[in-house]
Amino acid sequence: MGLARSRTLVRVALRITAVNFRAQLEYRVNFALAVVEGIAWQSSLLVFASILLTRFPAFSGWTTSGVLLVAGLRMLSHGLYTFVFRNVQALTELVQSGRLETFLLRPLPVYFQVLFSALHLSTLGDLAVGAGILAVAVSELEIAWTVGTVTYLACALVGGALLEAAIQTALSCAAFRFPTTRSWANWVDELMLTFGAYPLGILPAFMAGALTFVLPLAFIAYFPAAALTGRADDLGVPAAVATLSPLFGLLAFIAALRLWSWSLRHYQGIGG
Amino acid sequence: MRARHARRVAWIAPHGELLAPPRLTAAAVRLAVQVLFVVCLWRALYASTAVSAGLDRGQAVSYAVLAVLISRIRGLDQFTARDNVLHHVQRGTIVYWFVRPLAPARYYLLRSAGDQVFGLAWAVLAYLCCLPLAAVEPPVSAAAGAVFLVSMLLGQVTLYYLSLVTDLLCFWLVVNDSVLRLVQFAQNLLSGAIAPLWFFPGWLRLLAEWLPFQAILHLPLSLYIGAIPLRSAPAVLAVQCGWCAGLAVLTRILWWRAGMRVAVQGG
Repeated sequence: MGLARSRTLVRVALRITAVNFRAQLEYRVNFALAVVEGIAWQSSLLVFASILLTRFPAFSGWTTSGVLLVAGLRMLSHGLYTFVFRNVQALTELVQSGRLETFLLRPLPVYFQVLFSALHLSTLGDLAVGAGILAVAVSELEIAWTVGTVTYLACALVGGALLEAAIQTALSCAAFRFPTTRSWANWVDELMLTFGAYPLGILPAFMAGALTFVLPLAFIAYFPAAALTGRADDLGVPAAVATLSPLFGLLAFIAALRLWSWSLRHYQGIGG
Repeated sequence: MRARHARRVAWIAPHGELLAPPRLTAAAVRLAVQVLFVVCLWRALYASTAVSAGLDRGQAVSYAVLAVLISRIRGLDQFTARDNVLHHVQRGTIVYWFVRPLAPARYYLLRSAGDQVFGLAWAVLAYLCCLPLAAVEPPVSAAAGAVFLVSMLLGQVTLYYLSLVTDLLCFWLVVNDSVLRLVQFAQNLLSGAIAPLWFFPGWLRLLAEWLPFQAILHLPLSLYIGAIPLRSAPAVLAVQCGWCAGLAVLTRILWWRAGMRVAVQGG
């Protein structure tokens, strides 16, 4: 893709986001509640993590700040995912209503149009809570913050967001043939919400394995947090694999995009 | 004749589900995995703790599993069917709800009742599978079991009214997805679906006591596992009845006001 083309896409994305933002402002109560809702959902994760920490102290050797790092990484990467990619989960509606057909006629990549088809303001809440928790964790952890560790943290956040996007993009491909598959995406979303914000080491081995190799949730926050806090040796995978989690997120996203493009090429139109 | 029509309306969503075996299989797989994960999680948490917040391992696991099963009662994907108040208000087709020979409030009630009975069948089947596998313990006594059933029924009525209030807000807000998600959040957190309310800090439990959400899961499940003794059951049932009555009055007023201001945005 040429530089000029990329620049055009960024400009169009910004313009569409601005229009979507203005559209949301038309429904002011909904607008305000959307932000509150984002904060509330993320806080519920924190409540669950704090319950686990206070009621069940034997937490696989993780300190409170270590658990907060897992939670903060997960929440902030989820916020980034929601900000850019959440609309892939709405592909079922776009197919059902026939809006996808109009996307096919426009001179812009269809995936791009899907991503910017709506703006989710609850993201602001997600990002705020995630950033707050990560800031607390980072300030309390005894880690020597160098350019390398800060860069790794940033890569982990982006990698986590890309991995979640890869999972949901791959799942959304089913919508091209079966437009009532949203419940699967919602279910995976719920699983990731429930199990993503604390160290998976407390779970039985088969369950932690399922959340590593079937649904690669461990690569989003648990492995990067373990790598940052020097716990990468006892995770059930080689330390190098855990450390390279952000790269895994990028590769998974590229693979998911290819699957999405292939599925789109075979789309025959089932909505209307 | 009226009963037959009512049955047909209530049967719409369950019928759609039954006609799609892959969806049924997928729902069964999802439920089984979720129950398995919840059992594993809570057993692992109790591996080095005998009692926490007054609950032993069996009580906590039973509470968490039953919370998953009862949450399944309202688990039908209404959004995909595109026959909810939000879709109709946005498309303008809500007007048909008011010109049909069937009153909109009654239509909504029948659809919801059909969904909830279908979900209940799922929950009962799953419960009967969980019981011999020791994923859930039987109720502490026969009396506790009976009171639990009454309490769960009242919890479902409360849930119905809360969902109705959320949907009726569409008539004023036109868009209600944030309200919907906010209520879902409050419902998950303050009903005990995320974790038993017994584990929550005091201030959050106090907040839950003043809101209707705990009537949906926490109160019936606490009766089931014996965390609330039977002698307190009348007070618990009274609280649930109070919420049902209050919400019934509120939704009646909302339906009446909604009928006077049907706004057609699209169509």
